[in-house]
Amino acid sequence: MTKTVNKPVSVKKTILRLLLYFVVLDVCVITLYPYFAMLCTALKSREEIFSTAGTVLPITALWSNFIDIWSRAPMAKYMLNSFLIAGGSTVIAMLCGIPAAYALARMKFRGQTAFLGFVIVSQMFAPVVLLIGIYQVMQVLHLTDSILGLIFINAAFNQAFTIWLLRGTFMGISAEMEQAATIDGCTRVQSMMRVLLPVAAPGIVTTLIFIFINAWNEYTVALCLISTDTLKPLTVGINIFNGYNIIEWQYLFAASIFAIIPVVILFMCIEKNLVSGLASGGVKG
Amino acid sequence: MSTKTPAAPAEKQAQASPRLPNPGSKKLFRTIEPYIWIAPSIILMAIFIVTPIVKVFQLSMNKVTRAGRLKGFNNFENFTTVIKDPAFALVLKNTILWTVAVVVISTVLGFILALILNNQFKGRKVARAIVVFPWATTLVIQASAWKFIVNTDYGTLNTLFKKLGFISASVNWTSTPSAWFAWEIACGIFVTIPFVCFCVLSGLQSIDASYYEAATVDGAGYFQKLFKITLPLVRSSLTVSTVLNIIYVFNSFPIIWTMTKGDPANRTDTLVTYLYKLAFYNGKQGEASAVSVIGFIILLICASVYMVYTLRKGDEDL
Repeated sequence: MTKTVNKPVSVKKTILRLLLYFVVLDVCVITLYPYFAMLCTALKSREEIFSTAGTVLPITALWSNFIDIWSRAPMAKYMLNSFLIAGGSTVIAMLCGIPAAYALARMKFRGQTAFLGFVIVSQMFAPVVLLIGIYQVMQVLHLTDSILGLIFINAAFNQAFTIWLLRGTFMGISAEMEQAATIDGCTRVQSMMRVLLPVAAPGIVTTLIFIFINAWNEYTVALCLISTDTLKPLTVGINIFNGYNIIEWQYLFAASIFAIIPVVILFMCIEKNLVSGLASGGVKG
Repeated sequence: MSTKTPAAPAEKQAQASPRLPNPGSKKLFRTIEPYIWIAPSIILMAIFIVTPIVKVFQLSMNKVTRAGRLKGFNNFENFTTVIKDPAFALVLKNTILWTVAVVVISTVLGFILALILNNQFKGRKVARAIVVFPWATTLVIQASAWKFIVNTDYGTLNTLFKKLGFISASVNWTSTPSAWFAWEIACGIFVTIPFVCFCVLSGLQSIDASYYEAATVDGAGYFQKLFKITLPLVRSSLTVSTVLNIIYVFNSFPIIWTMTKGDPANRTDTLVTYLYKLAFYNGKQGEASAVSVIGFIILLICASVYMVYTLRKGDEDL
């Protein structure tokens, strides 16, 4: 190789750049592939999906599939249930989580470490391993086959994350402003509501959306507890198209797309904040 | 701030409160105040997490009727029955394979992806947004999509590969239970990578650029920088993501349930799908609870070993 001063560096850089773009493009294509397949299938007719010739893109886009699902299954009900479950879980998780995170960040009390320890350890118990216990508790409370029951379960199992993320957010905010507010005659609750919460809004929104997504995507507990069709959330309900004998792929995927879109949009909003919150809160805990 | 005083003296003063009713009751209130703040959270978790935990342990120790009634301590018979069942060894092996394969591979790939996405390039924001997709999608849907894609007769993977000329006839991607299990692991990796990637990215972004500049001045190569600067500094992020992933993946139910339901003959079952079938299909709640308890113990050991190991390693470096 002949050595010139500048050229080898720039050639090497260009190759690395191209390689970078090539890898990034590949990753994006592979990541999006299942969604592409879902969308294409959702636009095909049943005959086209099962035809031996096989097509990648639909011959003619059958947008009517997206309309048909609303009459073939109680999709509107599923959607409403998903919103109720996710919204309700978020409200309860926040109502319980904000005061707890506040106490952990701003007060000192006996059993603080134990409480924080319990919060972290509780993450180890996924609902699925506790299903038998959960089912029995729900029977006693008459909450099996009820949306309210799912709301409580989702709220409880998201407490760890809520407290974890919010405590990190609150601890990152100086307590001076609240102290000043207290001196000015505010009670603790007032100073939290008026001073701390507005400043902590980005962290709170992140936490809120994260719980909403978790509850929206929850499948296992809903599968086990809900038996009435009109009480099912989307994740469970769409399996009406996934029968033992016949799978109506076009409808299954059309319905799936409705279930995916709201969450993906929400997730993209919080992606940046969420992860920094996770990492910092986790290490401190 | 009064609450900054240690709890013990405050409590003593609170006990002496009857003599000075007004300031005393205020002190008492300050002592119990934190507990009022955490009470809603504690009540919620006590009812819906702690009680089920207690129930599961109770059920695992007792003879249980099909209706879920306890019939007294049965000398760990549930555990011995479960362990003696030849299916259990298979399920345990599957669970370990599933957890280790998904966590290890997705951690390595997620780490590499994070290094790539940490570069400055055009379209970086779009790429980051796309990578987040699998994390946001519910696992049932992701799993149904993959189940469809790998189908032999009408799956889109065969169609696509045929159109692209990679293969001439349809390939049976899922000819054996092990092949199914491998696809389930692939799907698990696919959905776990984004989480690892974003945890590492957050770690990478907090590294001061001056470290790299100094290393470049000293003549360090790319891999030297990677192993001497990057890895040690993102280790805490990696620890968090790995511990959480071990827990999530070990307890992951929807992927396997959607793709194979653990069939045929437990060949693709993991502990969670196995216990679900035991409890809700076969009505063996006692044995299913024993499987749950065995799961907790394994998870507890894995998570604590990993934590202790990484924390100790961190101390040695200091």
